Amino acid sequence: MSLAPVHVVPVLAVPFGVVAIAGGHELNALLTPLLLDRARTDATRPFDPLCHRSADDLLEWPDEPMRRLGAEMLRGVVSVLAAVNDFTDAHLRSLQVRARAWFTIIGPDGCLPPTNYPLSAWCAVYCLAAPEPAVSRQDSGILRLQESRLGTSFADATTAQMRLPYRPGHYGWRPVPGQLAVFPAWITHEIALLKSAEPLVLVTARLRFQGPGQEGFTRW
Amino acid sequence: MVNTAPLTLRPLFAVPFAETRFEPCEALNRELETLFLARENDEHRNPSPSHVPQAETFESRFNLFRWPEACVQELRRFMLDAIGRMVLETSAVSAQELRRLKLHNHTWFHISRYAGSFVAHNHPMASWSAVYCVRAGETLPARPASGMLRFHDTRAGANGYLDPANAALHRPYALRPLELRLTAGQLVIFPSYVFHDVAPFYGSDTRITVATNCWFT
Repeated sequence: MSLAPVHVVPVLAVPFGVVAIAGGHELNALLTPLLLDRARTDATRPFDPLCHRSADDLLEWPDEPMRRLGAEMLRGVVSVLAAVNDFTDAHLRSLQVRARAWFTIIGPDGCLPPTNYPLSAWCAVYCLAAPEPAVSRQDSGILRLQESRLGTSFADATTAQMRLPYRPGHYGWRPVPGQLAVFPAWITHEIALLKSAEPLVLVTARLRFQGPGQEGFTRW
Repeated sequence: MVNTAPLTLRPLFAVPFAETRFEPCEALNRELETLFLARENDEHRNPSPSHVPQAETFESRFNLFRWPEACVQELRRFMLDAIGRMVLETSAVSAQELRRLKLHNHTWFHISRYAGSFVAHNHPMASWSAVYCVRAGETLPARPASGMLRFHDTRAGANGYLDPANAALHRPYALRPLELRLTAGQLVIFPSYVFHDVAPFYGSDTRITVATNCWFT
């Protein structure tokens, strides 16, 4: 069969960026024990062995490794923004960033329920420690961005098996220590149930960037 | 001057959602539970699951309502009759027209044990779905989300911008998922396009449900 030339482009696409954080492994070695210790000694939040989430004040911590990680995460997010926008360096520098960050420790049989973040533009998930993939569960501990398009309610043999980025269904990313995933904060996402004796340790930030004169930013 | 003109308020783009109960359910559920536990094996396991299989949740083949056992047929009548009533309540289809339609279904049971869950999904190629609770499983006050059936807001991302004037909308306008702890005998019916999931069940016993997807020709 002779096929006509076609030009196919993804429209209505969702950006998903992955950035390797400079010095990530060194930071992870410093921060992972610090966060585990803080989680177990936090008098305001009893430690939950399934899923422990800290207060969202990490970017205010004075600890030098956390300040470095915060700066590197912001640099990673800006790299993604630069990749999906036509900003000049001067325009990027003119934006005022607001961000909140917290850490999450997911233990054996724990998970992070589906969530999204109102009043935020971007969500950034950085991995400090991740167990090996589980033999018993292929989606163990993955970050899953959930499909929400209802047009998928009708499926036939040609629509159900399209390749990325056209394929309907959830998108899974396995957290890798030292890597940062960046995606729009409105996307509902979760961390799938973890089948491992070792914890998954993540730092998550939600961010928004205010241009000069931009209104409508209510309080978080 | 205060505007006191009548304000007509109505939900747009609404999702129909029905709940009903099989009463009394104890005897039926006992029979169903015994039957399902006896058939929690490879012969009756769904051979081609659309999700990542997990040891903690057993999913049967989709032919449950073809089983001849009286308890299954009694549940079949109850569930499919309720779905028929849902069609009549929510659409322009008359009872006479409904009788002329052929109702098809895929129906199966789930048995979940500790850490069993089910990823968010909807059911393409079906119009109505329903879940019946045979056994709710242990309730854990310290884990309120355990085993919760969650219906995701169909207006994904509509909560992106919140301010004090829209952050606390009440149902049916609220911009948040509907979370349900099913109880034994409860049946919920909803459009098949609605994404839903089951949060990990952390009870020490079993959580047993029957689900059906229906389409009419």
